Amino acid sequence: MLTRPALPVIVFFIALLALFAALPFVGGPYAVKFATRLMVLAIFVVSLDLLIGITGLVSFGHAAFFGVGAYAVYFVSPDYEAGNLALALAAGVALGGLAALLVGSFAMLTKGFYFIMVTLAAGQMLFALFHDTDIAKGSDGAYVNVKPNLTIGGKTLLDFDSPLQFYFFTLAALVVVYFALFGLARSPFGRALQGIRVNETRMSALGYNAYLYKLAAFVVAGAVAGFAGALFACIDGFVTPELLSWHQSGLAIMMVVLGGAGTLFGPILGAFAYISLEDLLKTASLVGEFVSSHWRLGTGAVLVVAVLLSPDGLAGFFRLFGGARAAPASAPAAATAADRPARRAKALSTKELSRNFDALAAVSDVTIRFEPNLVHGVIGPNGAGKTTFTNLLSGAIPPSSGHVDIDGRDVTGWPAHKIAHVGLGRSYQRTNIFGAFTVEENCALAAQARHGGVLRLTDGRWRAAETEKVAHALAVAGLSDRAHVVSSKMSNGEQRQLEIAMLIASGADLLLLDEPLAGMGPEETSRVVALLRDLTRDHTIVLIEHDMDAVFAAADTLTVLVQGKLLAHGTPDAIRKDEAVLEAYLGHHAEKSGARA
Amino acid sequence: MIAADDILHAEKIDTFYGPSHILRGLDFRVGRSETVSLLGRNGMGKTTLLRSLMGLTPPKRGRIFVGGRDMTGARAGIIARAGVGFVPEGRGIFPNLSVEENLTFAERAGVGGRRDWTKDGVYEIFPRLRERRTNWGNQLSGGEQQMLTIGRALLSNPDVVLIDEATEGLAPKVRDSIWETLRLIARKGVAIVVVDKNLDDLFDLADRHVILNKGEIAFEGTSRDLKDNPDIVTRLLGV
Amino acid sequence: MSLALIQILNGLQNGLLIFLAASGLTLVFGILGIINLSHGSFYMLGAYMALTLTSFTGDIFLALALGAPIAFVFGMAIEWLFIRHLYNRDHLQQVLLTFALILVFNEIQQSVWGSHPLSIPTPSYLSASIPITGSLSYPVYRAALMLICLGLALAMVFVIQKTRVGRMIRAAESNREMVEALGFDARILFRLVFAAGVTLAATAGILAAPVESAYPGIGDRVLIVSFVVVVIGGIGSIRGAFVGSLLIGLADAFGKVYAPQFSAIIIYALMALVLVMRPAGLFGRA
Repeated sequence: MLTRPALPVIVFFIALLALFAALPFVGGPYAVKFATRLMVLAIFVVSLDLLIGITGLVSFGHAAFFGVGAYAVYFVSPDYEAGNLALALAAGVALGGLAALLVGSFAMLTKGFYFIMVTLAAGQMLFALFHDTDIAKGSDGAYVNVKPNLTIGGKTLLDFDSPLQFYFFTLAALVVVYFALFGLARSPFGRALQGIRVNETRMSALGYNAYLYKLAAFVVAGAVAGFAGALFACIDGFVTPELLSWHQSGLAIMMVVLGGAGTLFGPILGAFAYISLEDLLKTASLVGEFVSSHWRLGTGAVLVVAVLLSPDGLAGFFRLFGGARAAPASAPAAATAADRPARRAKALSTKELSRNFDALAAVSDVTIRFEPNLVHGVIGPNGAGKTTFTNLLSGAIPPSSGHVDIDGRDVTGWPAHKIAHVGLGRSYQRTNIFGAFTVEENCALAAQARHGGVLRLTDGRWRAAETEKVAHALAVAGLSDRAHVVSSKMSNGEQRQLEIAMLIASGADLLLLDEPLAGMGPEETSRVVALLRDLTRDHTIVLIEHDMDAVFAAADTLTVLVQGKLLAHGTPDAIRKDEAVLEAYLGHHAEKSGARA
Repeated sequence: MIAADDILHAEKIDTFYGPSHILRGLDFRVGRSETVSLLGRNGMGKTTLLRSLMGLTPPKRGRIFVGGRDMTGARAGIIARAGVGFVPEGRGIFPNLSVEENLTFAERAGVGGRRDWTKDGVYEIFPRLRERRTNWGNQLSGGEQQMLTIGRALLSNPDVVLIDEATEGLAPKVRDSIWETLRLIARKGVAIVVVDKNLDDLFDLADRHVILNKGEIAFEGTSRDLKDNPDIVTRLLGV
Repeated sequence: MSLALIQILNGLQNGLLIFLAASGLTLVFGILGIINLSHGSFYMLGAYMALTLTSFTGDIFLALALGAPIAFVFGMAIEWLFIRHLYNRDHLQQVLLTFALILVFNEIQQSVWGSHPLSIPTPSYLSASIPITGSLSYPVYRAALMLICLGLALAMVFVIQKTRVGRMIRAAESNREMVEALGFDARILFRLVFAAGVTLAATAGILAAPVESAYPGIGDRVLIVSFVVVVIGGIGSIRGAFVGSLLIGLADAFGKVYAPQFSAIIIYALMALVLVMRPAGLFGRA
């Protein structure tokens, strides 16, 4: 998760801030203008990092919101006198945010390559709007003849016409934007965005409405980009449609990655580095005639090499100097597993549940009731439909017919994140955790899902309860001493324990576990089996497994599925002796060899 | 120690799916012209072993030998050309190619230039395929697709064929014809590693049975050994 | 009425040319799974190469005969140098690398050919016009262009459906792993497919050179339109690319005449509409 930058970084930026603050007094007007342009660009690029680095949305149309914000200033500025500065900036924010809302509302329905395409096309559509039509003077560009100022009661408080005032305003704006976005990324809302970046399916399964979160991030980023655009319009008082082009979007992405996506400060470095590199390569006196007239070749080549060699960017360079994490708050002592009060958990039942895939009946007419506070094993030979069955129960896919009930409440056809809110949690055949985050952060995301709406910006009154839940879950699952380990670095068995811990932290008391013991050695297996037995105190567990020894040790009831149909249901001992079951597993061999007990 | 007549040998391999440790220090060998059955419940590592031998899911530790040559880490294409045929679970036919094209695709001389198997030969064994030769792969029934996959594997004239769940979900008559085909292949001297559940058919076909449990070999023996130990069968394969 | 007929012909000709470029893009997507932003650059380089080769050989078709193999070899080189490192990388890295390639190619174009629009005349033996109605006629070269594009489209279908390479391409599209398990090296196939995509784009650029001037931004336009076509038609579908290209070609031609300010916007609106109704494209696999 995003943490406070390491000390070397903080020192570096304070030095940089001091440098920029001193610049107008030592440098000439060209230097001031250049630096202003840098800072405006930096604001724009930081807003893009909220999308790319924090939320994982690779948007190829972000420059369009920048451009729209710039044009907003043109729209609200009177022809021959200074407009209202507050109005101009607000217009930039509003128009950028509005455009982002319109584009985002249907871009967020797409993923991956399609998302990149849709944002690219949307950006180009806005470009075409300003370039081809006469909504704002078309391809010639438009002028903001007099820069806006802030005049109250006849006194001019702030005038963008003054390069110095404008410079310091922009510097202050950059600092404020950085801290605001940093705070946003660390808030519950921002943590959810980061979770979506790392594992969106898991977030939905935990109960987060990913669409709304992504849309909100998109709009915020668009609004900030619009703000940057509005500032840009005030640098030279000239706006052109080129500001919206996908080339600008591409360059912005380049700066984000060059600097280090996801750090928020990295892209600022990336912007500075790229613009400086560009300027350097254009200066014949420094690099010679050939290079300066072909500077684009230089920047392109640098970028190609950068991508091929390192995915971490300039921020990664800083990490070399010890990226000390902020010391975590120590977890309060949690009730040990044995102290937990027993609690009636939920019952799960199905009625004539069926699911077809074209002609294949994956699950047919399964009617069953899983009683509370027990471990129910679901077994069956290959192709029995067990995973489809699990997907039906958790809402990952809708049934073709039949019903699913949780404690008498019909949840048939509910989407995954809605069912999660009724107390059902599931784990996956392949471990599906947030590998990039620590054990504690994984559980915190699970715990956070239950409280507050999408725009939960402060930890608020739920924080204490959630911290408690996380500590409790870790204690029950036996992972308290691994709380700060990055989860992708743990063994397979520990990752499975983490999966269970996350479910406990989310408050789910009806657990659906799909092959939790796959690929585990004997000691890990017995540890997890012991955990499952312990959890029946306050959970109902439905367990799909093939490890028969473990299933017999863990389960109170066994359900046998064969080719999608329910073959038998009963205690493990009864199932073991059941002829039909033996036949299903061993074929007609069973009766011939007398394999029956 | 690699026996001179081993066509396949997996030496102490460890194979993972992400962090999941599926095969644990496994030693598995197949002799030339030998038929070995691979048994075990789901998730015990049978498919993973076949895929490791084929180079599709390379082991993280250990070595793979094909025909006595060290092929550890080799791409599947190289291993296939070294004489290994693959009949995967789910059949893996090309749905957008016709039956004829599926077969032509794989047609190749075997190691040493042998051409025991030809397209006509395959159509002889599977007359149904000849009838359907212009149909697209996805227009075939399950049994026909199975025949196609087996025929396709044979057309590369392999020294050993890896067959994963070839009779799953097929009608009894179709199953019988497939077992018949496997017996034919064995008679022609091609080694076979077969994963299946039908113990009786496997008892007839296989020289040796290997049962996997949790990524390790839990039992290895002849059909006689298994018939004499029904409790092993129940414990490792049943419930 | 006859004006509409001219527009239909223009739209079809435009669409067929777009198809040539877009088919290369959809092949690369469908088989290699790569987002290649530099695809438009290959069209541009083809267009400029046509200028040089035509002045060298004196004939556009000779230029094509020389240019296509050059483009193919160039494509193989680019795949070997850069693209093959992207197969397991995420979208962001693919986007960045291929975007950087655009910068490099743009610079090469500028250095060699400069930034003024350049054009070549249509070949003298094809510069007549076919009379359509009393007052309107249609240029022979454009008609020839349509025939050539159609011919190439048919050739493409032939190669894919009837040749060994085509079989491998179809097989790789549905089950890459099985192709390997049957003894083939998918990496060589990828190199060939990428080179083919580059050649198709460059060919389109060469053929178009006599009817539209080459200017530095030409690659961008082709790239975006190709992307829109691929999204509309469905990733990996040649048929979809064909239908999508004709749709876009016609929409563009009519848009330019009847609503010039909005012609670009119409294209994106069309794409948005298709995405909403069929997220995988008209012929795509979900």
